This record gives sequence, structure tokens and C-alpha cells, in this order.
Amino acid sequence: MEYLNIFIKSAFIDNMVFTFFFGMCSYLAVSKTVKTAVGLGSAVIFVLVVTTPINYLLETLVLQEGALSWLGDEYATMDLSFLSFIMFIAVIASIVQLVEMLVEKFSPALYGALGIFLPLIAVNCAILGAALFMQQKQFANIGQATVYGLGSGFGWFIAIVLIAAIREKIKYSHIPGPMRGVGMAFLLTGLMGLAFLGFLGFEL
Amino acid sequence: MSEEKKSEPLFSKKNKALITNPLNSINPVTIQVLGICSALAVTVQMDNAIIMSLAVTAVLIIGNVLVSLMRNIIPGKIRIIVQLVIVAALVIIVDQVLKAYVYDVSKKLSVFVGLIITNCIIMGRLEAFALGNKSWASALDGLGNGIGYGLVLVVVAFFKEVFGSGTLTIPGLGKLTIIPESVYDMGYMDNGLMLLPPSSLFIVAVYIWVQKTRNPELIED
Amino acid sequence: MAIDRDSNVYTIVFATVMVVIVGGLLAFIASSLKPIQKANTTNEKMQNILQAIGLEEMRTLQRDEAGAIFNDFVKRRVTINYKGEILSDKSAADAIDPQDKLDAFNIDLRKEYSRAVKPILSANKGDDEAIKTALSQSEAIHFPIFICEKDGQKYYVLSASGKGLWDDVWGYIGFKADGETVNGAVFDHKGETPGLGSIITEAWFEDQFVGKTIAENGAFTPIKVLKPGKNLNNHQVDGISGATFTGVGVDEMLTRNLEVYYNFFKNNSEF
Repeated sequence: MEYLNIFIKSAFIDNMVFTFFFGMCSYLAVSKTVKTAVGLGSAVIFVLVVTTPINYLLETLVLQEGALSWLGDEYATMDLSFLSFIMFIAVIASIVQLVEMLVEKFSPALYGALGIFLPLIAVNCAILGAALFMQQKQFANIGQATVYGLGSGFGWFIAIVLIAAIREKIKYSHIPGPMRGVGMAFLLTGLMGLAFLGFLGFEL
Repeated sequence: MSEEKKSEPLFSKKNKALITNPLNSINPVTIQVLGICSALAVTVQMDNAIIMSLAVTAVLIIGNVLVSLMRNIIPGKIRIIVQLVIVAALVIIVDQVLKAYVYDVSKKLSVFVGLIITNCIIMGRLEAFALGNKSWASALDGLGNGIGYGLVLVVVAFFKEVFGSGTLTIPGLGKLTIIPESVYDMGYMDNGLMLLPPSSLFIVAVYIWVQKTRNPELIED
Repeated sequence: MAIDRDSNVYTIVFATVMVVIVGGLLAFIASSLKPIQKANTTNEKMQNILQAIGLEEMRTLQRDEAGAIFNDFVKRRVTINYKGEILSDKSAADAIDPQDKLDAFNIDLRKEYSRAVKPILSANKGDDEAIKTALSQSEAIHFPIFICEKDGQKYYVLSASGKGLWDDVWGYIGFKADGETVNGAVFDHKGETPGLGSIITEAWFEDQFVGKTIAENGAFTPIKVLKPGKNLNNHQVDGISGATFTGVGVDEMLTRNLEVYYNFFKNNSEF
């Protein structure tokens, strides 16, 4: 139950795009067609599911105050949390690199589909954002952290696919010149954000 | 850069353009669509927006200069990682300083300070400008983009705070009441929507509309 | 230049040097700013506790001043568990040792809420009896009590932690010597909507609690946060319009935590 709660909460209520604006840069840049949106969305889910648990382990076993106590009592008071930004981003960047190489070697077809998006992801704020929120929410175990990663990724996936679908159709509408493209995308995201606010009414 | 003459003045026309262009025709937020993640989430109060812009500008200038100084020694293969490390280190320093000296602000900005690392403006400028230009030009480019980013943040924060809570919080001056009590007595109410996340997007959309109407050459087709 | 920037050796040497320099620099900065940061959080907690007593002179108390006068007011720090057993009992003369996890001042209620309380609440949703049994069995849940004195008058500052709309909410509630009447309250939050939920930290909301009681005819009666604009009795306060869920969170945390304290004071009249 707890897992389902975390999933629904992170995917819909705390949606990365609509409530926190995380990953907006690639969200706006790569949402012109549904096909590419699905590609980038899947890549984000994948990277989040892999990096969030790794960052969780890093946080609980190394970075947190007292986390190093498994090394011996003299380390029990160490607090490395000031290093968390740099460690998280290093993990994310290297996992992305690793995933890119693995996918390229073992599944050229998937690489063809995801390949160009993977480098973009290292600097997608949704990934680092999920790591930092994970740190703040202090999940009880690694399972919850993984589900949180999955949920956040899924929420991001829905967001980008939805907006891409709208943008595909909107090409045929008469939009005032200055609002064409980015302007309209902002407005649409705002409206969708309002709709997603409705999920706040969920009691979990 | 070899054709550049040594005697080029510090504020030549080209260098001035490095600062002024990002304010309008290549504004990082509204035209290049970079750095929106953090831009919109910290704009409910003016003081947060101002401090966030200052933090981003500082990281941007220093990061640009550092990368520009190191542009000839950074190994090509690990370029992106080196840039990330430089930015992350700068952000940690900013975060630690905020926590130590302006604790209240750091509490409000919380995770958003960390997100400066993945603020695409910074990585974008490092990659696109600092890697190929001298340090002085890079510093100006950082300053220009920082101001361009801050400009949008301040505009958004202004509308959100004035119409959302009827106040304006300015660092050093505290919370100023903009909409007088008498207006409320006549039946005026704060617009709650302005305090919610989606309103930032609406304001930026209108900002883009106004900006592109005044500069028709920016219109996308 | 003779150096080949694309060779593996150069890349590895460069990366190593960079890591050493960056790591050293960050460690130096973090450790030199650490004492100031620690003082900030400690002083903030002291400021909150002192303000929760509800004395007029504390209203303008600044964070930096709190540390110096904390021991003049807070005479005793007690930690109890859900069942009301005393786990730690310190007087103002005992310095606060950051290593002593049971010292009432070191109890991190927010951490305990997310680690221990929240799983119990969501696992036993709707079943109040099961929640109470599970809470009383958990050893990870503590309740700090700060016993304060001013001009011979005794005050108790108790604390509570729970969840608002987005993230944690918590607060300190000051009681008069009878242990039933609220004399002051201070709330804080991690990420409630600014301008809506965040209003719980403003004086008008906190001041509503003053004078309310948690007892009726010798039984525990929680303080309820209602929708604004209702007629209030002395167990009810006005909520914030547009921030229903934050109000529900405050309501829940007060009910859950204050009941423990109420029973404790009832069974331990010497306090």
C-alpha cells in the first residue's frame, strides 16, 4: 500500500513538471512530436529508476550524518552531507554514460531510439531534483526510494507525452504570431498544471 | 580569437552586446528556453527571486571564467563532467554560505539552490561560450545572461506577489504593503491563483507575447 | 604544446588532480562554516521553544539572542515515550550534549515522524486503536517536554510534528501550569504553499491557540482546526481559507501528540 501511495503521489500529485517545473528545458525543447517525447520520457523513467536507489544508498551509507558508523565508531560523527550535490550529480552523469554504452552495445535498436536523448538527461533537473527530494523525504527503505524514482519518472513521461500530443494538433490552429511555439507551450503547461492541481484532492 | 587585437577596450561594442543581448533578443528564459526549472518555482516572493538571481549570476560568472581559463587544458573526453564538477563545487559553496549567513533565505530556497547545478543556462553558457572565448568576454557573457535570467524572475515575482498577497518583499526593506487596506475594505480580494505554480507559466507566456510583439523578428514560424 | 589532450593518461591525471583540489576546497569550506550553520539551527530551535511559552517579551526575540537566554527560562528537559515512561530528565544545569540522543532538545521529531510515525499511520489507516497500539510499541518515537519558569510561574512547552499538504509541518505549543490551557504556539513548515499554507507561521494563526484548552470534564479533548468563519468554542480555531489540507495536518499532529502529553501529566501529578 505504502508503495502504491508513493507512486501515485510522486506521479500525479507532486508531478515533477506541473508542480515543481523540473526538467522544463528538455520538456519544452523535445515536445514537438509524440514519438520523440515517448523516447525521452522512457529514457527519463529508466535513468530515474536506476539512479534514485543508488543515490539512496549513497545517502544512507556515506553522506548522512552518522552514516559512516558501519566503518567503526570513530566515523560515527562524520557528516559528509555537504558533498551530496556533487556526489549525486557525479552518480547521475556516470550512470547516464554507462547506460549509454551498455545500450549501444547490447541493443542497437533501443540505442537508435533513446541514444540521442541520453546525454541530455544528465543535465535534466528532474533527475537531480528527484535525488534531492529523495534526500529530503527520508524514505524508510530502498524499495520506497525506487518506487519514488519510478513514480517521478512516470509523471514526467505523462507530462511530456501529453504536451507533445497537444503541440502536434495545435500546429493547425491560428495562434497569434508572437505566441507561436514557446509562448503557447508555456500557456498550455500552465493550464495542464491547473488541471493537475485537482489531484491534490486525493487523500492517500 | 587570434584576430582580436590586444588593444580592444574592455567595453567595446561587441562586449557591450554580450551584456545587452541576453536581456532581450537572446534572453535565456524566454527565447532560449533555458533555466526555467528553478526560475518559476522561487517566484512567490520578490526576495527569493532576487537572491536566486544573484546566486545564479554569481555561479554563472565564476563558472564561465573558470572554464574559460581552463579551456585549453580540459580533456575533451570528460568535458561535460569537468563542467558539472566545477558548477557543482561552486553551488555547494553558495549553499554553504547561504546556510551560514542568511539562514532564513536558505530555508526557503531549500532544494532549489542545488538545482542551480542542473540549471541549463549555466551548462549551456559554459558549453556554448566559455569553452571558446577569453575570460573577460566570458565573464561579461555570464553577467549578461545572469541579468537576463534575473529580469524575468523579478517580473514574474512582482506580479505573483502583488496580485497574490498584496505585498512586495524586498531584501533589506522587509515586507511592503502595496495594496492598501482600504481597497480590501471595498471588496477586493487577493488572487489565490497567483500563489500557485501554474500562474508563473501564464506570466511568462504573457511576457513572451509582449516581448515578441515588440520584436517581430523573434517570432517562430 | 606537447601534451595530447585526448590521451587517456592525460584524462586520468587531470581528473585525479581535479578531484583532489575540489574535494579539499569543499571540505575546507564546509568544515569552517559548520559551526555557524550548527549555531543557526540550534538557535532557531531555542527561539521557537522560547516563543512558544507565550510571553509578551518573547515576540520580538531574535534568533541570535535565543541561545544566551535559553537556560534562564527552560529549567528542565524531559523526554517521555508514548506510554508515558520517562526516558531522560535533565535540568538547566546539564549542558546540552549533541551526542545524547535522548536529551529532549536533541529529539528530532520531524525525522521520527517520517521514519517511524508515518509508516504506522498509513499501514493502519482508519483504525485508530491499531494506530495507538503500534505507536505505543515503537521505540523510535519520543516526546520532548520543556519545563520553563518565569516569575515563579511554570510553563510547559511541548512539541508536535506531522504532515501538511506538501511536506512536514511541526510546532511547539506552550501550556500554562495546569497542563491544559494553551499559552502560546509556534508553527513551522517545510514547503507549504507560500501565501496559503505558509500562513500557519503567522501571528494571527498562532495566537488563536492562546487560551484554548485540551481538556473537558477531565478527559482529553483535542483542539480542532475548523473551516474559517464558524462559531468557535474553546477547543476550536479558525483554519486558513484555501489551505484546508495544511489545517488538517496541523489538526492531526496536535491531536496525536497532545493526547500523549495530556495522559502523562494526568498520571504524573508531580510535574
